[in-house]
Amino acid sequence: MSEEALPLSGLVVLDISSFIAAPAAAVALADFGADVIKIEPPGEGDPHRHNYKNASYPQSDKNFPWQLDGRLKRSIALDLKNASARAVLERLIGRADVMIVNFPPPARERLKLRWEDIEPINPRLVYCSLTGYGETGPDRDRPGFDITAYFGRSGILDAARYEGGPPGLSLPAQGDRATAMTLVAAILLGLRQRDRTGKGSWVGTSLYANGVWANGTSAAGALIGAKLPPRQPPDRPRNALTNLYRTRDDRWLQLLVVRDDRLWEPFCAAIGRPDLTADPRFIDRGERRTRALELGQELAPVFAAKSYAEWEGVFSGTGIPFGVVGRLADVIDDEQAAHAGIFADTTNPEVPRTVNNPIRLGFAKPRTSGPPPAVGQHSEEILRELSYSDADIAALRKAGALG
Amino acid sequence: MTESGLPLAGLRVLDISSFIAAPAAAVVLGDWGADVIKIEGPDGDANRRIMHDSSNYPKGEVNYPWQMDSRNKRSLVLDLKQPPARAALDRLIATSDVLVCNFPPPVRDKLRLTYDDVKQVNPKLIYASLTGYGESGPDRDRPGFDVTAYFARSGLLDAQRYEGGPPGVPVPAQGDRATAMTLVSAILMALIHRMKTGEGSWVGTSLLGNGLWSCGVIAQAALVGAYLPHRPPPDRPRSALGTIYRTSDDRWLQLTIVREDKMWPGICETIGCPELLDDPRFATVEERRKRSGELATILGKAFASRDYEHWRKTMSAHGITFGVISRPQDVPDDAQAVACGAIVDTAIPEMPRTLANPIRLGFAEQQIAKPAPALGQHSDQILAEAGLSRDEIASLRASGAIR
Repeated sequence: MSEEALPLSGLVVLDISSFIAAPAAAVALADFGADVIKIEPPGEGDPHRHNYKNASYPQSDKNFPWQLDGRLKRSIALDLKNASARAVLERLIGRADVMIVNFPPPARERLKLRWEDIEPINPRLVYCSLTGYGETGPDRDRPGFDITAYFGRSGILDAARYEGGPPGLSLPAQGDRATAMTLVAAILLGLRQRDRTGKGSWVGTSLYANGVWANGTSAAGALIGAKLPPRQPPDRPRNALTNLYRTRDDRWLQLLVVRDDRLWEPFCAAIGRPDLTADPRFIDRGERRTRALELGQELAPVFAAKSYAEWEGVFSGTGIPFGVVGRLADVIDDEQAAHAGIFADTTNPEVPRTVNNPIRLGFAKPRTSGPPPAVGQHSEEILRELSYSDADIAALRKAGALG
Repeated sequence: MTESGLPLAGLRVLDISSFIAAPAAAVVLGDWGADVIKIEGPDGDANRRIMHDSSNYPKGEVNYPWQMDSRNKRSLVLDLKQPPARAALDRLIATSDVLVCNFPPPVRDKLRLTYDDVKQVNPKLIYASLTGYGESGPDRDRPGFDVTAYFARSGLLDAQRYEGGPPGVPVPAQGDRATAMTLVSAILMALIHRMKTGEGSWVGTSLLGNGLWSCGVIAQAALVGAYLPHRPPPDRPRSALGTIYRTSDDRWLQLTIVREDKMWPGICETIGCPELLDDPRFATVEERRKRSGELATILGKAFASRDYEHWRKTMSAHGITFGVISRPQDVPDDAQAVACGAIVDTAIPEMPRTLANPIRLGFAEQQIAKPAPALGQHSDQILAEAGLSRDEIASLRASGAIR
């Protein structure tokens, strides 16, 4: 597959964004052929370049998050606060198709980076905005992050918990990365509109709206006054046969014996407790439901006595259903994940495999990525494409506009 | 904005899918102007009953999940196992642009609904496939659900737990709705491809792939051998000033103190324990980290003594930074949820508000949600549009192929 055949080849995207949600959308466009130019502040660049040292991230000396969110981009280091940089930016905007921005609104005003500032420069541009909380309203200027805007504010963390327990946990950038797919869809709708009308447009989304969308079932329930039923913790099950049990190696087995009318005896035999079938306390479905707590107390030590792998062996071929609670350590080598195209090889020896974009196309494969760019690695190359001469570039450097 | 001004006006989408992820993608296309025809079997999409069938759904008088996942669709009932119904479907496929399908692969084979089957009928068709685990491999035929494929198998639930605690709990359909946006993006890529080449195509995504994309940071870390330790539970945090506390009304506050040295006196004042300021055990950041358990016990008692509203006001007054952990029932009354476009009015009297899809476009507003269709409500109308005569429709009806 040649690059020209990729659906977004020929598209020029300016990624003037930081951290994860907006840059990850730019990655997805690059995967499918777009020429993505990352505009970063000189020196440190996008702060996300340093996130792998973040205490809430898995610890590694390899810059794995930057590989993921910087792949296939070219970097120009431009100090947007420097007056001489503005002309460069405008020339970049003049030949771009898409521009992605995630500055909070006050910074956009200061930097003259609002759609109304940009539209006169390139009326065919698709201007894509990501905010934490939307473009208007009391919190529009508040910087929004994944954990606060997508998870906390949307009600997900409160809802994702066991009865009486603490709020649920989210994983680093979990909501950012889901939001990236919404931005991709918004940009593609903007491009479609341009094909139809010849005009550029503003498109965007917010972390908050994406969190509410993901929490849509509970939120739609809340809109009509319906409340989410509390989840019983595993030590207080409503149904002991569809409960979670801890195994000897601190993994969890999700039992899914829904048809215990048929499976009760084979189940007791498989777990080595045939005596339970004669136990009058658990003699039929009704009794087992009524005494879910007691039955759970019988089963918990049984499951705690064997490892997860041993249980898989025990249940294999018995028709007793259980759900796999996977661990990432296994998932990265999961044959099914390979078939689903979830991971991809890179040509970067430091980070040889990466997480693929979840969009699959019958007519094109995502590009293979090499190492992500260093800050300003492509500054001169990009400026020459804009017809800047060596002298112009030297002058920009001297003015401190260029990194 | 008239319907013809919407970016997907004129596009005809066949939604031959069930439950949430794939139908929600069709909803988004409908929001932006597509004519979405929902094709259901004689019993209808099981999502029509999920509010009652699932013990994890909020229960309401209004069938809010069905309203949300079927808004602006038309319903056609076809019993695809009957050859005349299958033939009628081909007439529809011939005049459609997009077909959304989430049958497991063996069912597609049986119903002759693979991409190879339908592209012969309409080579310009975009075939959007959603699977649990991908299109090939050992688990390709396994039905996948949000909880099992997106959350459990991907390693998300295992990672989303407190140290020593049970796996995390996702909120209903959380992964399905995030995946819908990926499917929308995939379909829009195919539309761009069709515009460039005139050809239809296969596109798709899997729940497993989307789960791993959303936890891409830790998945990418796993690929370089780095793992996130489980988070210590709130009663023994790593830092007592960066953890969550329960209030007297069973809500939670997320303390997010970044400049601890500066804010420490304010915290002591806020919680009404000024004596802590002189307590040598907590005199420095290091001492406070070392005794985080002890300090968390003191703070925990203080926060548990008053309600959420009290703390929200007091902490704001003292300039103490904290994250809002909203409950789903708080979202409908949050002005910012309306401002960011998450909550919109409907034309459904029994459900006057619903959730917008998170995409925002400067040039178009989403179609207002009208009532979701009754089962087979538009069967005759749709078949007549596809060119079937009155007699043909009557004979299909007589044979039970349509309802």
